[in-house]
Amino acid sequence: MISLDAPVLIEIRDLCACVDDQPILNGVNLTIRAGEIHALMGRNGSGKSTLSKVLAGHPAYKVTEGSVLYRGEDLLPLEPDERSRIGLFLGFQYPVEIPGVSNLEFLRVSTNARRLEQGLEELDTFAFEDFVRERLGLVQMDPAFLDRSVNEGFSGGEKKRNEILQMALLEPLVAILDETDSGLDIDALRIVSGGVNQLANVDNATLLITHYQRLLDLIKPDYVHVMAAGRIVRSGDKALALELEQRGYEWVDRELDALEMT
Amino acid sequence: MVESPIKNSSALDDWCERLLHSLEAPSGPMAACQAQSRNQLETLSAPHRRQEAWRFCDLAPIAELEPRQIRSLGEPSAPSVSDQVTRLVLGTGQDPFAGVTLPKGLSPLSDAELKHSLGQTFNLATSKGQWPVALNQAIASQVIGLRVRGTVDNPLELVCDAGADRGVFAVRVLLLLEEKAKLELLQVQLSSGANLTSVLVEAHLQSEAKLRHGLLAFGHPQAALLAHLDVEQEPSSDVSLVSVCQGWGVIRHEPQLIQLNGGAKSQLRALQLVQANQLADTHSCVRFNGPEGTLDQLHKAVAAGHGRSVFNGVVQVPREAQRTDAAQLSRSLLLSDRARIDTKPELEIVADDVKCAHGATVSRLQPEALFYLQSRGISPDQAAQLLLRAFCDEVICMLPSTAGAWRPLARLLDGV
Amino acid sequence: MTSQSHVGQLVSQPYKYGFVTEIETEKIPKGLDEDVVRLISEKKNEPQFLLDFRIRAYRHWLKLQAPDWAGLGYPPIDYQDIVYYAAPKQKEKKNSLDEVDPTLLETFDKLGIPLSEQKRLSNVAVDAVFDSVSIATTYKEKLAEHGVVFCSITDAVNEYPELVRRYLGTVVPSNDNYFAALNSAVFSDGSFVFIPRGVECPMELSSYFRINSGDIGQFERTLIVAEEGASVSYLEGCTAPMFDTNTLHAAVVELVALDDASIKYSTVQNWYAGDENGVGGIYNFVTKRGHCCGERSKISWSQVETGSAITWKYPSCILQGADSVGEFYSVALTNHRQQADTGTKMIHLGPRTRSTIVSKGISAGHSANSYRGLVQMGPKAVNAKNYSQCDSMLIGDQAGANTYPYIRSQQPDASIEHEASTCRISEDQLFYLQSRGIDFEAAISMIVSGFCRDVFSQLPMEFAAEADKLLALKLEGSVG
Ligand SMILES: Nc1ncnc2c1ncn2[C@@H]1O[C@H](COP(=O)(O)OP(=O)(O)OP(=O)(O)O)[C@@H](O)[C@H]1O
Ligand SMILES: [Mg+2]
Repeated sequence: MISLDAPVLIEIRDLCACVDDQPILNGVNLTIRAGEIHALMGRNGSGKSTLSKVLAGHPAYKVTEGSVLYRGEDLLPLEPDERSRIGLFLGFQYPVEIPGVSNLEFLRVSTNARRLEQGLEELDTFAFEDFVRERLGLVQMDPAFLDRSVNEGFSGGEKKRNEILQMALLEPLVAILDETDSGLDIDALRIVSGGVNQLANVDNATLLITHYQRLLDLIKPDYVHVMAAGRIVRSGDKALALELEQRGYEWVDRELDALEMT
Repeated sequence: MVESPIKNSSALDDWCERLLHSLEAPSGPMAACQAQSRNQLETLSAPHRRQEAWRFCDLAPIAELEPRQIRSLGEPSAPSVSDQVTRLVLGTGQDPFAGVTLPKGLSPLSDAELKHSLGQTFNLATSKGQWPVALNQAIASQVIGLRVRGTVDNPLELVCDAGADRGVFAVRVLLLLEEKAKLELLQVQLSSGANLTSVLVEAHLQSEAKLRHGLLAFGHPQAALLAHLDVEQEPSSDVSLVSVCQGWGVIRHEPQLIQLNGGAKSQLRALQLVQANQLADTHSCVRFNGPEGTLDQLHKAVAAGHGRSVFNGVVQVPREAQRTDAAQLSRSLLLSDRARIDTKPELEIVADDVKCAHGATVSRLQPEALFYLQSRGISPDQAAQLLLRAFCDEVICMLPSTAGAWRPLARLLDGV
Repeated sequence: MTSQSHVGQLVSQPYKYGFVTEIETEKIPKGLDEDVVRLISEKKNEPQFLLDFRIRAYRHWLKLQAPDWAGLGYPPIDYQDIVYYAAPKQKEKKNSLDEVDPTLLETFDKLGIPLSEQKRLSNVAVDAVFDSVSIATTYKEKLAEHGVVFCSITDAVNEYPELVRRYLGTVVPSNDNYFAALNSAVFSDGSFVFIPRGVECPMELSSYFRINSGDIGQFERTLIVAEEGASVSYLEGCTAPMFDTNTLHAAVVELVALDDASIKYSTVQNWYAGDENGVGGIYNFVTKRGHCCGERSKISWSQVETGSAITWKYPSCILQGADSVGEFYSVALTNHRQQADTGTKMIHLGPRTRSTIVSKGISAGHSANSYRGLVQMGPKAVNAKNYSQCDSMLIGDQAGANTYPYIRSQQPDASIEHEASTCRISEDQLFYLQSRGIDFEAAISMIVSGFCRDVFSQLPMEFAAEADKLLALKLEGSVG
C-alpha cells in the first residue's frame, strides 16, 4: 500500500560493500516506507543476499561507501542484535543449524530481547509457550519443532517456516525475507505467504527477495526492483516482475550495456 | 619417557650387538653414515614394551633370527612386467640400474647428492634416534636414490625378495621430487623364511609435486618387517601412501608425514591382515607445520586366529596450522575370539579454525549385511568372503595400478 | 575486532568462591611419615584394620613414582610441605546442626549450600566437608527410616565397620596408582552411602567439599554401595579459596553396584583454578571408579569440570556383571593456564555389557584440555557394545585440545564405535543469534551450552541449571 506521506523506515544511499576486499555491492539506492511491500529480484550472484546481510550487520561484509538510515538514524554502527531489537528482521536464505540449542529457548530469549526494547514485559516460560503456540498457527508448524535444536535436521521447507515463525514472534518493522519461498511445497507457500500478509500492516514494511512470480501472486508487491552486479538497475511495479517472468534478465542486460555505452 | 643412558640388555639388545659385530667394516659411499649409526646403536636401547610407543609391539621374535647381514638375495619370483612398467630389483648383488633404461624424468642421484640429502627428513620429522631407523642406516650399504623431474609416465616398481635366506637385509630409498614432478611407485617386499627386512624410505616433495607410493608386503610367519617412511611435503604437493601388508610374523610400519608449510595434500591408506600368531603394528604420524593442509587417512585391519593388530595414529595441528582439514578413520575387523585389536588415535590440536575429525570402529562383519546377502541366496561363507573382500578392496584399489599383476594379491584373503 | 577475538576475551571471570573463612583450625605439623599416618588414624579413633590398610598403602606409595604419562606440566610436589590433617576447632562432633559453629554454617550459606534445616534444598541431603572433616550431614534420620546410610566416612568406620571393611579398597585397591596409594594412607574424610537391597533412595544425596586452609592437602574418600535392586543419585560439589600456592587434592571414590542396582554420580567441580598467569590453584588428582559387579547393574558418571589448575581424573566403570551398563558424560572447560587430562575407562568384562561415553571439551586461553579414555572388550564380553563421542571446541588459537582414545578388543562379538570432532563457534551461528536480538555474550554462552547439552541433560534437574550458570559465568567478562 503506497502512501507517500508514510514515514520512511529505511533509506539506503549509494551503498557499497565488499567481502574479503572483493567489492560486491556497488552503489545500492533504495527507500522503503511504512506500509510498503518491495520485491527484489535479479540473477544468481547479483548481490541480493549480500544486501540483506549488510543490512542485518553480518561481520564478514564491510561497508566501504554510502549510508543506511533506519527511521532516520544511522543503522551501520549497530551490532546485529541491536538491529534486531529495534525491529529489523532478516529471514535467511540458508538458516544455520545450531546443535544443542533448544529452539523454544532460543525463540523465547530472542522474543524477550525485542519485547524489552519495545517496553513490553518479558514473557516467562509459560506465557511464552502460549504465545508461541498461537503464532505457530500462523505458519501451521508442528509444536514438536519447538523441542528440537535450532534448525538442526530441519528440512529446507521447515527451516523457512521456522524463519517466518520468528518473524511472527518478533513483529519487526522491516522484514527482509531472502528467498523464503524456495524449498516450500505448494501448500506451504500458501501458508507462509498468508502469514506474511497477515503480519503486514500500515506501520511496517517487507522486502521480499525472490526469483519467482508465484510468490508475488500471493504477496502483492507495491514495488519491484531488479539487481545486477551489485546495483539496483531497474525499479517498477508488479508489471516489471511479470515482464521478467516472460523475458528473463537478458533484456535488462542489454539495457544496462546500452547505458554503459552512453 | 626418558631414555636411560645405560643400555638395557634385553635379548634384542644382545642380538643387535651380535649383529653389529658380524658386520663388515663400513665401506663405500655410505661408510660414514653406517659408522655413525653403528655408534648410535651401541647406546640406543632396542625397543621394549615399557615404552609407550612399543607397548603392544613385541619385537622379541626378531631376536630369534640369525644376527647376520644378508649380502645378496636371489632373483625374486615376480610376475613378468609389461614395457609400461620400469622394474628395479634390489639386493641381488648387481647394480639395480644395470640394464634398465629409466623412463624420462627419472635419474639416479650422484653420491654427492645422496650425501647431501640423506637423513634430512629425519632431522625434521624427529625420526632421528629411532631404533628401526638407526638399524637400517647401520646396515644399508647402498641407497636407491632417485631424482624426479616432470611427469614420469611409466610407473616404477622396486622389488625386493628376502626369500628364505636367514639374517637381516636392509633397503634404503631416497626420492627427490622437484617442482611439479609426478611419480607412481610400487614397492614390493617379499619374504619366505626366517629373516628381517628393514626398509627405510625418505621422500622430499617440492611444491606441486605428486607422489603415489604403494607398499605391497607379503611375508612369512617367521619373517619380520620394519618399514619406516618419512615424507616431507612443501605446499601444494600431493602425497598418497598406500600399504597392504600380510603374512609377516612381525611387522612394524611407521609412515611419517610432515607438511613443512602446510598447504599440501596427504593421503594415507593402510590395510593390515594378521592371523595365526602374527603381529602387525602401524604407528603413523602426520604433522602440519603451516596452514591449510589436508589429511585423509584410513587405516584398516583384519585380525583372525591369534593375530594382533595395533594402530596408533598421531595427528599434530599446531597453532600455525590454521584451516587444516584432517580426517582419520580406523576400521578394524576382529574375526576370532583369540585375536586382538588395539587402536589409539592421537589428536593434538592447538589451532581453533580447523576441521579435525576422527573415528574408530572395531567389530566383526556386520550381521545385517551378512543376513542381507544370505537372504539373496548366498551361503554364509561366501557372504563373509564377499564382505571381507569389499572391506579390503577400499584400500587395495588405491594401490598403484601395477600392483594388480602381483598374484599374491589374489590370495590375500586366503586363510583369513 | 573480529568476533573470534571477542570470544577469546569473554572467557574470563572472577572466581566467586575465593574467600577464606576465619576460623580456628587444629592442624598437625607439615610432613608425611608413618607416624603421621598413625596420628591421623588415631585422631579418627580408627579400628586396627583401617590402620593396617593405611600403613600398607603408605609403604607401597613410598615405592611408587608420580605418573608422567599425561604430560602435564607442573613442578614436582613436595610432599613434606603439606599438612595432612586440618580440622576446624569444635568441641565434639555435633549431633544437631544447631550446635555447629555458626561461622561454618555461614561459610556454606555463602557457597550456596544452606545446611540449616529450614533453608535447605527440600529434596537433597547434604554432607559438608570442611578441610579434613565432615562438619554436618543433613536428613540423616529421614534417610535412616528407609534404611539408607548417609554419613561421613569417619562416622561410618565407627558405626558400620563391617560394611566399610567389606567394600573399602575393593574397587580402587590401595596400590592402584600413585595418588590412590597416597589417599589410602592419609585420607581424612568423605562420604559413605549405603542403599540396602530394593531401596530407591528417597532423595538426592550430595557432598560438598570445601578446602579452606592454604597449606593442607585434601584427601577425601567416598564409598557408595548399592545393594541388589537399590538406586541412588549422588552429587558432589567443590570449591576452594584463592591462594597463590598450589593445593593438592587427591581423592578416591569407589562405587559398588550389585545386581540390578543403579548409581548415578554427578560432579560439579569448581576448585580454584589459579589466576590468569597460572599462579595458584588446586591440583586435582582423582581416582574414581565404579564396579558394576551385579548383573544388570548400572553406573553413570556425569561431570562438569571447570576448576582446578590441573585436573587428572578418569571416572571409570568395570562392567563385570552380565548386561551391566556404564556411562560417562563430561564437560571440561579450561581457560588461562589450566590443564585438564580427563576421560574414562570402560572395562567390559561381562557379556552384553554396554557403555556410552560423551565428552565435550572446551579450551580457551592458553589452556590444554585432553580427553584420554580407554574402551576395553575382554574375551568374555560377548555382544558388548560401546559408543563414544568426543567433541572439542576451541576458543582462540592459543588453546590446545588433544584426544587420546585407546581402544582394545579381544572379543569379535563386541562392537566399539568412536567418533570425535573439533569445532569452534562459527561466525554464522553467532550472527544468526545476534540477528535475532540476542547479545554477543548471551549468544556465545547459548552456543557453548548447546554444545554441552547432551551432558547437561544427564545432570540431576537442580544441578543442570547450576552447571549451565557456572559455564555462563566462566564465559562472562569484558567484551572488548
Ligand atoms: N562470504 C563471501 N565470500 C566470497 N564471496 C561472496 C561471499 N558472499 C557473497 N559472495 C559473492 O558475492 C556475489 C553475490 O552473492 P549473493 O549471495 O549476494 O547473491 P544473490 O543475489 O543472493 O544470489 P542468489 O540468487 O543465488 O541467492 C556472488 O558472486 C557471491 O559468490
Ligand atoms: Mg541469495
